[in-house]
Amino acid sequence: MISDELSAAMPKSIAVSELLKYDKKGKISIICKDKNSSLLYFFTGVVVCTVISFLFMDIDWIKLISRVPSIGDVFFKLMHFDFTKTDLIGRAFAETVSIALLSTIYSMILGLVFGMIAAENIFRIHILSVIVKSFFTFLRAVPTPVWVLLMLVCMGFGPSAGIAGLCVHTTAFFTKSFAQSFEDIPDETIEALEVTGADKITVFTNAVLPAALSQLIAWIGVRFEINFSECAILGMVGAGGIGFVISSNIQAYEYGAAGAAIICVFLFAFAIERLFVRIKGAIK
Amino acid sequence: MECLLKFKNVVKSYGSDSIALDNVSLEINEGEFVSVIGPSGSGKTTFLRSINKLIPVTKGEIYFNGENISDKKGKALRMCRRKIGMVFQNYNLVYRLSVIQNVLHGRLGYMSGLKGILGRYSEEDKKMAVDILGELGLQEYIYNRAADLSGGQKQRVGIARAIMQNPRLLLCDEPIASLDPSSAKVIMDRLYQMTKRRNIACIVNLHQVDVAKKYSTRIIGLSKGNIVFDGKPEELTDSMIEKIYGTSLDNLMLGGNEGA
Repeated sequence: MISDELSAAMPKSIAVSELLKYDKKGKISIICKDKNSSLLYFFTGVVVCTVISFLFMDIDWIKLISRVPSIGDVFFKLMHFDFTKTDLIGRAFAETVSIALLSTIYSMILGLVFGMIAAENIFRIHILSVIVKSFFTFLRAVPTPVWVLLMLVCMGFGPSAGIAGLCVHTTAFFTKSFAQSFEDIPDETIEALEVTGADKITVFTNAVLPAALSQLIAWIGVRFEINFSECAILGMVGAGGIGFVISSNIQAYEYGAAGAAIICVFLFAFAIERLFVRIKGAIK
Repeated sequence: MECLLKFKNVVKSYGSDSIALDNVSLEINEGEFVSVIGPSGSGKTTFLRSINKLIPVTKGEIYFNGENISDKKGKALRMCRRKIGMVFQNYNLVYRLSVIQNVLHGRLGYMSGLKGILGRYSEEDKKMAVDILGELGLQEYIYNRAADLSGGQKQRVGIARAIMQNPRLLLCDEPIASLDPSSAKVIMDRLYQMTKRRNIACIVNLHQVDVAKKYSTRIIGLSKGNIVFDGKPEELTDSMIEKIYGTSLDNLMLGGNEGA
């Protein structure tokens, strides 16, 4: 009885079997009809290229293996921490932390402004976001040490050149990541405020920013950590900080002092990581 | 009664072959409570969203309060929009923020540049928000995070936000489609009372024909982008319902006294 009524309700029903698709093994296919297979080709290509480039790599394997013990040797020497230079390390460490902190804060402010412009769903001016995005892609394409060297030329040796150089790259990073977080905000949320007659910047500050906050905090945390370790490297090109202490001590074969500085860097990086996990948990 | 909203030969097409609104003309007066019914894809949502230009129309004119909204842009459009409140099926709140912050968002259209950007609401606005929340029975939840509320409560916050705009017209896009029957009744009751008390015209998209019959002063039936019915709830006969949904009553789940 029921089945009769159902079939009456669907007068134009076609036999189900005619609509089914089958895969190569003759089994019923369940994948979406317009499945995009380009991704599969891309990954296959990547794997093939990786294998080929590995085979062609110019590595003297015997030499590499014979030198492995000496890596252990260096680590062994680094592990004998020498804390006699604590005041020097402490000062350099404080300098590094302030470079990382300042460059992150300055870039965060700039990144919020440019991220807002770059996000496609705030002003909805396609050409503007394309221009901003491409400009910052260019800034990102040039590595941080190059920017720092350029700033060294302009501003002379010292931490301010480090801050300025890091800011260029960090702002470019924040613009991209913030814009992506803003674009992830569902359109409905934005729509709801648009219909109240609010203008675009007001919608941004009252809906998009609070909704994206936890993502922004995560990005800032990641970047602060990166900036801190970049600082350590940048010291070696003369931008001051703990990197300079590490490189000069290694060059002078004072592995103990270098090891102490490195462990400081590690402990601080680890502390940042834990701190941001806490912050993110607290604001959720 | 004064005419508040006027559609004049409005056409909306998506691409070349898909027509959502097909030469629609109608007038809606102040204080009316209009339900729009029709099957999915009949153009209900397009109809509603074209009123505040969330969807721009292809042809024709839409007059709100005597002004042609369909060719307005920027500031002029925002000035019109703030007089049209909207309630969404999925509430569309900023879930990180408190209930009262979400309600106060309704005032953003009235605030000047920096004040709006920084979210510095006046004390009167805050008092008004508290009053509206009290009217909706949400006074205990003022400082709760919007994310922590139940579905029915979220929708009441959505209504409060729309009422905060001090609108002349309220658009509701399937406001009870995601709610359980008891919350749905609360929402419809509140919508009806609050718009009546403030003399706000209300247009509600609905899937529930019995709900439309119970609350509205006027029902519009859409089918394939055309108005096939426009009249009082008691004029909506069974055969008319069959015409709107394009199928016999036996194939429709109408609720109400049908004993379903």
